[in-house]
Amino acid sequence: MKNLKKYFHTSGGVLHAVDDVSFQIQKGKTMGVVGESGCGKSTLGRTILCLNEPTAGEILFHGQDIAGLKKKEMNKIRPKMQMIFQDPYSSLNGRMTVRRLIEEPLIVNKVCKNKQELKERTDQIMETVGLAPRLAMSYPHELDGGRRQRIGIARALVLNPEFVVCDEPVSALDVSIQAQILNLLMDLQEKFGLTYLFITHDLSVVRHISDEIMVMYLGKCVERASFEEIFKNPVHPYTKALLAAIPIPSVESCHKRRELIQGEVTSPVDPKPGCRFAARCPYATEACRQSDIPLKEVAPGHMAACLRV
Amino acid sequence: MEQVLKIEDLSICYKTDLETVYAVNGISFSIGAGETMGLVGETGAGKTTTALGIMGLLPERTGKITSGKILFEDQDLCGMTEHELLHIRGQKISMIFQDPMTALNPVLTVGDQIGEALYLHNQDGLSQKEIDKKVEETLEMVGIPKERKKEYPYQFSGGMRQRVVIAIALVCNPSLLIADEPTTALDVTIQAQILSMICDLQRKYGTSVIMITHDLGVVAETCDKVGIMYAGEIVEYGTLADIFTGEKHHPYTDGLFGSIPSLTENSRRLHPIEGLMPDPTELPKGCRFAPRCKRCSEICRQKKPPVYEENGHQIRCHLFSGKEDAR
Amino acid sequence: MAREKEKRNSQAAEIWRRFRKNRTAVIGLVILILIVGMALFADLIVPYSKCIEQVGADRLQGPSLEHFFGTDELGRDLFARVVHGSRYSLFIGVATSLMALVIGAILGASAGYFGGMVDNIICRIVDIFLCVPPILLSLAVVAALGSNMQNLIIAITVSCIPGNVRLIRSVVLTVAEQEYVEAAKSYGTSNARIIFRYVLPNAMGPIIVNTTMAISDMILSAAGLSFIGMGIQPPSPEWGALLSNAQTYLFSAPYMLVFPGIFIVLSSLAFNLVGDGLTDALDPKLKD
Repeated sequence: MKNLKKYFHTSGGVLHAVDDVSFQIQKGKTMGVVGESGCGKSTLGRTILCLNEPTAGEILFHGQDIAGLKKKEMNKIRPKMQMIFQDPYSSLNGRMTVRRLIEEPLIVNKVCKNKQELKERTDQIMETVGLAPRLAMSYPHELDGGRRQRIGIARALVLNPEFVVCDEPVSALDVSIQAQILNLLMDLQEKFGLTYLFITHDLSVVRHISDEIMVMYLGKCVERASFEEIFKNPVHPYTKALLAAIPIPSVESCHKRRELIQGEVTSPVDPKPGCRFAARCPYATEACRQSDIPLKEVAPGHMAACLRV
Repeated sequence: MEQVLKIEDLSICYKTDLETVYAVNGISFSIGAGETMGLVGETGAGKTTTALGIMGLLPERTGKITSGKILFEDQDLCGMTEHELLHIRGQKISMIFQDPMTALNPVLTVGDQIGEALYLHNQDGLSQKEIDKKVEETLEMVGIPKERKKEYPYQFSGGMRQRVVIAIALVCNPSLLIADEPTTALDVTIQAQILSMICDLQRKYGTSVIMITHDLGVVAETCDKVGIMYAGEIVEYGTLADIFTGEKHHPYTDGLFGSIPSLTENSRRLHPIEGLMPDPTELPKGCRFAPRCKRCSEICRQKKPPVYEENGHQIRCHLFSGKEDAR
Repeated sequence: MAREKEKRNSQAAEIWRRFRKNRTAVIGLVILILIVGMALFADLIVPYSKCIEQVGADRLQGPSLEHFFGTDELGRDLFARVVHGSRYSLFIGVATSLMALVIGAILGASAGYFGGMVDNIICRIVDIFLCVPPILLSLAVVAALGSNMQNLIIAITVSCIPGNVRLIRSVVLTVAEQEYVEAAKSYGTSNARIIFRYVLPNAMGPIIVNTTMAISDMILSAAGLSFIGMGIQPPSPEWGALLSNAQTYLFSAPYMLVFPGIFIVLSSLAFNLVGDGLTDALDPKLKD
């Protein structure tokens, strides 16, 4: 098994949803992508699976560029790359039973030879994700969010993928259910050697599940490092601000004044050159607004895009 | 301290043809002037129903307050007519809704929407000019330039809209503000801005706040008192210190804390509560939490637990009832 | 399998339960069943021969025990003609709206789902058709093809398709935005499968409702066309043709107008009420 490697590069178009982002993920590891809404993280996930055509750049999966593949060839690779969606309410077709929903990818890709095999595989994956067999004939609207998300996971994993994009899989769930699902995802990764791209806006969730973390702001990757590095030595001012903004559930933080960044995410339509964060950055200087800032290695494996490092 | 709102043994249920949903079951709490009370719980715990009950905004045909009292400045809101409620709602008690995208009327300018509340509760006989001035002041107060009052909601971002919603809630100087998940729909950096703004304004005007949230972090930053709700009951109630550093806890509270991915600890696995919320149409007989509780015993399934109290810190659990060595 | 059946049934039962609560819809359903029953068992109620049998002595007789609805100018029994006419009228109504539904669904779904050029072309053509009032459109088609039953059905279907395409396209647009459609794409589902298994079933609610409503419109426009002599030709007893026939004797024999008129109004009312009831019953958001 070679390195799972992606090089991804989109630019042009009017809306710079994802702009010149590149990274690679090792097999069996998790890359966490963090950022606020509108920073392009979901677009990133969808583009990697070729649900959106990339404007430019390449996506290498096992060394093969899948960006410009024909539909037929793409369909061969599809089963290897799956996605878990954010909203367990709208990502399941309400007119299908749970069994039907999980079977569907198998049927579409003609994986199983007969009905018996189909049933066995569905039963097996349902057990793996912790769905009771009696639920097989229910409809998703009869189930709660946690169970629905389990269906979503089962549907993504039933094809035995190698790479799974998790697009905010827990943000629509309650904390206690969220923890159950996170544990499940980690167990599954161990069991099947899965590779995750874990998209979330919640830094504390990403810390638990990721090996490497990438922070995105307005389509740009502003910092990328191992999870320990990001939390111990955040370099980019935006990463620092994100960390500071998280409410901490302990008494010491009570009524404590924190350093907050002001302002809001600016529009990604036709951005000005220079650091995207300059408009909100307390340390921004004239140089920041001049030209785009490249990623620089501040420590081994720790990249940041800021002039101050 | 003067009590602004006192709730005694409040129960609310929703009745439909098919079933009865017991959304809130006998909760009691009180809030003093200038205090912030946090109501924490998961989806379906009855937090929002409690808020709607206080506001008198329960769905007319199905929602009903079955027992209990809501005493607001010593008046019982339950017995009031719709007409009397109109004077209190929006003027003395106001509410911030969860989703700023849908809480504003898209065809009115934000200035008009803020002025609306003033206009409706215009007891001091303010002229149009005075109302305009007040609207401008309120906008500045929530950090929006007053020139923007002529703009429509779609011209504002999510965080800005939530500021407008807060401005509408605060323009009449209410004595009680109910914030129903005010920051759930917002990004963390914006959430931090909004929370610190609510705290500042509260300190400035001495408003009491009920902060409804599912995020214990938000509670820790803003609240004085905390009530943890589960299946329509307050299972634990106490000061912030009681809940976050106290020795004794309801097992559900422990479970909630165990579920939160921590920013400081390095453990990879979380310790979630197993199982799911009980179906509010057929609640368990004894303790509501018994089916999911790790420390549950026979008595928990049979009898409703009494409230154990120590210096105002209340826990509804058999573990602490009666003798100290009950476990 | 047994469990699956049970589930299916329970969903149907749920819809039926909600439908039953709507009293006017139930009334509509009862009327509908009666009228459909009348059409199905027309031969048992009164033999077809009575429709065309001309009894010279019994011309323009008012309602009596012998002729419930009276007789027309040729001495034909109006009751028999109304009963048998229901076959034509209901058949035209149901056939045209089903055809319009199928064609409209295919065009509308492709326009909404694929978007871009496909959408543009389909929509512009639809726009052109929408410029012409539907009744004129039907008239033009009948005038071009000649007036008989088959052409009448084609004419009415054509006039109904543009509206259907518009409606189905807009419903499909919202459904196609849903995440489950994207999920289906992510595991390689073909477009046709997505349209038929994901998009259309979820868009079904408004479409079914629109179709039941359309049936009554179809009956009315068929009646309208027959009324001006462009539809079913005598001696076939279609309701609209009966009306058209009656206009000459409006003052001397008003009952000739009244009875077919009542049936046209009743059946379109029934379809409308049922369609209305279905709107609510099929919408799971209106659960209580």
